[in-house]
Amino acid sequence: MKEFMLLIRNEQDHLGALSKEELQHFLQDCMDYINKLMKEGKLKSAQPLVKEGKIISGSKKSWKDGPFNETKEIIIGYYHILAKDLDEAIAIAKDNPELEYTKHARIEVRPIKSVEESVNFQYPRGS
Amino acid sequence: MSNHTEINQLIDHLFRHESGKMVAVLTRIFGPENIDLAEDVVQDALVEAISQWTYNIPQNPTAWLYKVAKNKALNVINRDKYKRKYQSDVIHFLKSEWTIEPAMDYFFSDQEIADDQLRMMFTCCYPAISSDSQVALILKTLCGFSIPEIARAFLTTEDTINKRLVRARQNIRDANIPFEVPAGEELDKRLDTVLETIYLLFNEGYSASSGDKLIRYELCEEAIRLAEMIVSHHAISDNSNTAALLALMLLNASRFASRLDRDGNILQMQDQDRTLWDLSLMERGFYYLRNSASANGISSYHILAAISSYHCSAPDFNSTDWNSILSLYDKLLLIDDSPIVILNRTVALSKVEGPLQAIAELEKIKDHPAFKQYHLFYSTQAEFYIQADQYPDAMNCLEKAIRLASIKAEQGLLQKRLNSCKEKIT
Repeated sequence: MKEFMLLIRNEQDHLGALSKEELQHFLQDCMDYINKLMKEGKLKSAQPLVKEGKIISGSKKSWKDGPFNETKEIIIGYYHILAKDLDEAIAIAKDNPELEYTKHARIEVRPIKSVEESVNFQYPRGS
Repeated sequence: MSNHTEINQLIDHLFRHESGKMVAVLTRIFGPENIDLAEDVVQDALVEAISQWTYNIPQNPTAWLYKVAKNKALNVINRDKYKRKYQSDVIHFLKSEWTIEPAMDYFFSDQEIADDQLRMMFTCCYPAISSDSQVALILKTLCGFSIPEIARAFLTTEDTINKRLVRARQNIRDANIPFEVPAGEELDKRLDTVLETIYLLFNEGYSASSGDKLIRYELCEEAIRLAEMIVSHHAISDNSNTAALLALMLLNASRFASRLDRDGNILQMQDQDRTLWDLSLMERGFYYLRNSASANGISSYHILAAISSYHCSAPDFNSTDWNSILSLYDKLLLIDDSPIVILNRTVALSKVEGPLQAIAELEKIKDHPAFKQYHLFYSTQAEFYIQADQYPDAMNCLEKAIRLASIKAEQGLLQKRLNSCKEKIT
């Protein structure tokens, strides 16, 4: 199994347009999605990112820190998953309810490099 | 420190209004078997408010309070060592970080809060719980009353109230009921219990005060607020009994201000200053009375509300339409022939047919066990004797009444009547 990162991109107020019923269904679908991945052993971790923070740039000589939400689209969270290959990772991403319930969701699917083969270096992972 | 009092007042006010809502929502989240947990979390949030606000009152105290309660609720759920079982069907939304935030927003939305308060009312009025315990539980969870306050309201000890609450919560746990508004036939039955409980609550506040006037009036306000929540809720389609109860409570409440004199003694109706009546409450009462008509027949609330409306619409005591009131009591007797109704009817009877008829009526029921310790029986009897100029008999009754009356405000009135009888004899 290989590791992939799903970066969920969307508008900051991505759930604002949902009605009470839609929100309930969305929550249920999210739970089902997460539970299915966990049961299949494909979910390493998944967390939303709190809607606060900064983007820093510059250098020690002069720092620039701007708001995390300067652009219309922000990263609202991530899923760290296991899949056999990119195609499977993409299939998992397509099942994410965010796509069905909101208009502007975009999911970035990226393989994670765990070993730098040429020098046989294991990238560190937290416990 | 005036800042300190200001904060305490703010917190008291908030507590009254918001704690009921928060307990209802948290009970939805934790499940009804964990009502005590919901109460604890809200209590913790309040304590935190008191300690933090001494330095800095937040811009939006209500939002602050809700945020703290939400966070504490999440901490409770996430605690591994917490071995509680949650039957609630919504708890799993709070176990995944992806669904927590939108779920919490959803649970704490205005609509859900309103629905949960209704669900709470039905849960507290679960049939297995005794009616004393039902009222105590509603006051504690929905109305934000403390145990000492409830004890004072019921003229009993904190220990008694505590026992009732513990029993009630255990009954709910044992019953394993879902947190919901019942449907169909079950709804009609349970709604009757809810209305009874609300009426009980109202009467606790309405009967003569023991000096804690402020708290007693608050009970009436709470009862009215709870009934209004029901009458305006979409889940309940047949509102006629609730509207009738609301009419009754509002019409009675509109006349509160005139009931006591400046020394806190009760005034008889003929001595009350009708300019003190609250016309806006009265108008709301009449509104609900008009809208309480139903194809399914009338309840005793309908009749009592109609009787109250006759008192409200009389410009003075002597213009009261006693004939209509008497015939309403006759109708009431058909549904409810309890001794209290019979007693109250005799007052109307005395106005229509004279005191001697009323005295004769009372003779028929005087041996009823309910009246043995009931001071109002003897004071009513005394009034009829006074109207019939039979002063020695009146004094006899008044002395019995004074011995049985437990509340200062009533004793004051009775003593006055006794004194005026003595004057008539000498």
